[in-house]
Amino acid sequence: MSQRKRPVHRPKIRMKEAEALVRALKTHQVDGIVGERHIMVCRMKEVEEKLENSRDQVRALAASLQSMRENERAVIAREIHDQFGQTLTILQLGLSWMAGKVNPKQQPLQEKIRSLSDLVTAMIQSVQRFADELRPGVLDELGLVKTLKAEAREFEGHTEIQCGFKTNIGKARFDRVGSVAVFRIAQAALTNVARHAHASRAMIALMQREHDLILTVRDNGKGITKKLVHGNNSLGIIGMRERALALDGTLTLSGSKGKGTTLAVRIPLSRVLIG
Amino acid sequence: MKARKRERRRHAKPGGETYVFRLFVVGNESNSTQARVNLARLCEEQLKGHYQIETVDVLKDAATAHKNNVLVTPTLILIKPFPKVTVFGNLSDTRQVLAALRLIGGER
Repeated sequence: MSQRKRPVHRPKIRMKEAEALVRALKTHQVDGIVGERHIMVCRMKEVEEKLENSRDQVRALAASLQSMRENERAVIAREIHDQFGQTLTILQLGLSWMAGKVNPKQQPLQEKIRSLSDLVTAMIQSVQRFADELRPGVLDELGLVKTLKAEAREFEGHTEIQCGFKTNIGKARFDRVGSVAVFRIAQAALTNVARHAHASRAMIALMQREHDLILTVRDNGKGITKKLVHGNNSLGIIGMRERALALDGTLTLSGSKGKGTTLAVRIPLSRVLIG
Repeated sequence: MKARKRERRRHAKPGGETYVFRLFVVGNESNSTQARVNLARLCEEQLKGHYQIETVDVLKDAATAHKNNVLVTPTLILIKPFPKVTVFGNLSDTRQVLAALRLIGGER
């Protein structure tokens, strides 16, 4: 005798009830699913809370690491600037003094001193550049807006990609942490443009819209793919996003093939303004 | 005539008849516990003793759950007065629950 299959139990549910059920599921008000043979206990709310807590912890850790990194960079930058900069300047002065003392007839010696002096000048410039890259001193001196403007100009000089800058921010003063974060995001975005975008033009904009500070970096390159935006390997993007999140901000990246990429960071003004 | 009778019953005032609820829960999970507490509070506030609550733990009595077409827990079924009403979730949205049970608003 063949065994007959038990008919599948299909509970009847009306549309209004179905809507209420979906609402209960969406708001995590369900803790058990009654199946035909099994009861499934689900703890979605608890799991989500735990996940959110662990996300918060990771974000706090990332923010603390960023801050430690910036502090270390500042210390190294200062050491490089003070120690090497000073020594090289003394060396430069010594060489100038020697050049003045050498008999003009001693042509080879004079040329040697000049070439050494040129070398020391180049080294002083390199040291200044390293120190600036480690800790952009101009941020403290000029403020965020002017530093970004200078960064755009410098980027154009290094890469031959036309880079503009626009802003509607007047004399607003940003705090150190906020300024460094926004500047580093812009710097990382420009590095991505130079490395990956194959662009001929880029534009940085720092705008104030209602209660937010918005930084956008746009290029006319090949356009970022969705896979890269959400990929776990895009460490540069993850780093930028973490910096934005640490200031309660958001970062979005959009782009389409051949039409360039736009990076937009939105940070509440209350988190970056002084006073 | 029949429709009129039903209408009268739909507008029956709490206190006139006993409300019978069946609450399906799963063990002592958080939403189930909340549903138990919220239902007891609602009944005490709105029905002042004129109610009966039958709590069914689906882990112990799955058959009753199947018989009542219960898909998830917590599920509250208003057995009496007619018509039957089913409410899902932990019953924390008091206003919505009372409206669904016809204890407030035009539907009562």
